[in-house]
Amino acid sequence: MASGKKYVQQFARNLFTMSLANGALSDERVAGVLAYLEKHRPAQTMAILKAYHRLIAAELARGEAVVEHAGPIGESVLRDLAQSMTQKYGRPVTAVSRRNDELLAGLRVRVADDVYEYSIANQLATLAAAV
Amino acid sequence: MSTVLEQIEQQIARLSTKAVKKNTGNIRTLADGVAKIDGLSAVMYNEMVQFPGGAIGIALNLEEDEVGCVILGDISKLKEGDEVQTTGRLLSVPVGKALLGRVVDALGNPVDGKGPIAAQETYPVERIAPGIIVRKSVSQPLFTGIMAIDSMIPIGRGQRELIIGDRGTGKTTIAIDTIINQAKINKVGLASGDKNFRPVYSIYVAVGQKNSNIVRTMAALEAAGAFEYTTIVAAPAADNPANQYLAPFSGAAMGEWFMENGMDALIVYDDLSKHAVAYRQISLILKRPSGREAYPGDVFYLHSRLLERSARLDGKGSLTALPLIETQAGDVSAYIPTNVISITDGQIFLETDLFNQGIRPAVSVGLSVSRVGSAAQIKATKQVGGKLKGELAQFRELAAFAQFGSDLDAKTKAQLDRGARIVELFKQPAFNPIPIEVQVAVLFAMQRGVFDSIEVKKIVPAAASLREFFTARKNPLLTEIRTKAALDKDIEAKLQAAVDEWKPTFNA
Repeated sequence: MASGKKYVQQFARNLFTMSLANGALSDERVAGVLAYLEKHRPAQTMAILKAYHRLIAAELARGEAVVEHAGPIGESVLRDLAQSMTQKYGRPVTAVSRRNDELLAGLRVRVADDVYEYSIANQLATLAAAV
Repeated sequence: MSTVLEQIEQQIARLSTKAVKKNTGNIRTLADGVAKIDGLSAVMYNEMVQFPGGAIGIALNLEEDEVGCVILGDISKLKEGDEVQTTGRLLSVPVGKALLGRVVDALGNPVDGKGPIAAQETYPVERIAPGIIVRKSVSQPLFTGIMAIDSMIPIGRGQRELIIGDRGTGKTTIAIDTIINQAKINKVGLASGDKNFRPVYSIYVAVGQKNSNIVRTMAALEAAGAFEYTTIVAAPAADNPANQYLAPFSGAAMGEWFMENGMDALIVYDDLSKHAVAYRQISLILKRPSGREAYPGDVFYLHSRLLERSARLDGKGSLTALPLIETQAGDVSAYIPTNVISITDGQIFLETDLFNQGIRPAVSVGLSVSRVGSAAQIKATKQVGGKLKGELAQFRELAAFAQFGSDLDAKTKAQLDRGARIVELFKQPAFNPIPIEVQVAVLFAMQRGVFDSIEVKKIVPAAASLREFFTARKNPLLTEIRTKAALDKDIEAKLQAAVDEWKPTFNA
């Protein structure tokens, strides 16, 4: 049997695989996985749940472009962004907007680990680092 | 004022049109200088990652759902959840002549308080060693200035010669002597105006040493006028293990610059035992599987890939490596010593017993070897010292038997007498390298039996007196030996005449 941490990771990964239907996350399957955990309570349930949560959150982030903006942003811009990100990553990506005044102006788009910076705040920080 | 504002606005406008893509992650756990990071899905192995507050890390463990990074720098301001970014760059250090006469840390940052280093180029810390085709066999000598080594265990440019021994047996002293000797040769060579002269630049990598030792080394080099040709890469014991692990690779990158640009360089790794310990520490914290003596499985590769970077390149320069290994109770069969012995082109083994008997440098003739051999020796040294190693090894054997006090025949007695004189002749004070031409002159005198009539305990002052005599009064002859690098009949006659002239001046 795998050691503690490996066991947790393997178990969580198996649960994650079971949560996919046709390569996409299925709400029903996730509910089923949670019901199974509730009923059977395997060893280290808490750690497994945390690892499972991390995997699900990462998968959800892969399909979502979080668009941070300082000024107003139109629906059409969000639509265009979602379309271009869908094209870029080869999977459906939806766009959600979030206001962030610290950017000063411009945009910051986050898709999973990738961050696209179009903001003045970032350019100023780059300038400051270069001086 | 408005012009300045316009300039800034223009720059902002220029920059604001650019989109910057970053790959990010978040610190999941942080302990012992190692961060486990969620995300960083696009990070490369050995890539530099940027932590908040200017700290830099290296991605060493790429796992399925996390990345293990060692952090170089201050970790006190980092916390769980902090965002980390990839940089797209492999760890690089500044290289070039601007580093000479400076003390830098493992990342190439100056630590000597002499201001910033105006280096024009950077080299990646990890590089693939030169392949077979670009290499050339080692045939040019690199003189250490230590008679016992230059005459019996010659080192060539591009060679990897291990210096191994217990603590306090003079390993570092040999390395420092070699660096000092290169500086002396550089000064003479550059002053001569010889266009074919190739200076040797030195890099001294201090891993896991006390800061006071590094200061002492620096002071010794400065006192000998060798510091201007030397770079010290310092990763002292107080530094984190990541820096200690990186320092030899940074030093190798600095040395490679000289090699790639048609120059010769010497690099001293002081020492690889502590380097292996630092790597073991990192590997254990990264939860890599451990093997013998808890070292990770790739500790051999750690040193082989480092030492393979030393080479002599066809049409370019060379990088000679002198790695140091500290043994425990003279045990050369331990894990790390055997690894490094098998990687290098020979070893100089220093014995505690010899050191305690006052034989310094305490080179063990039987266990020391240079696999490059006489290919890296000038003809003059071969002529006068070709048989020395055999004679000295025979002497050690016979001396062991002579201890039993049995009657000895005349031939054995003569061998013992001669051996005892050779041992005395090879005694040499620290930080006092002897030029090769003077070594040839002294060995010539030994070969001709000049020392046979001098009492054994007076050999050391006699040799010193002879060296002084040659240096002070026979400089043209020494220059002739140095330039011709071989003894012809004419030089031999002059040497004999000089020795005959000296003999009456020495009061035995």
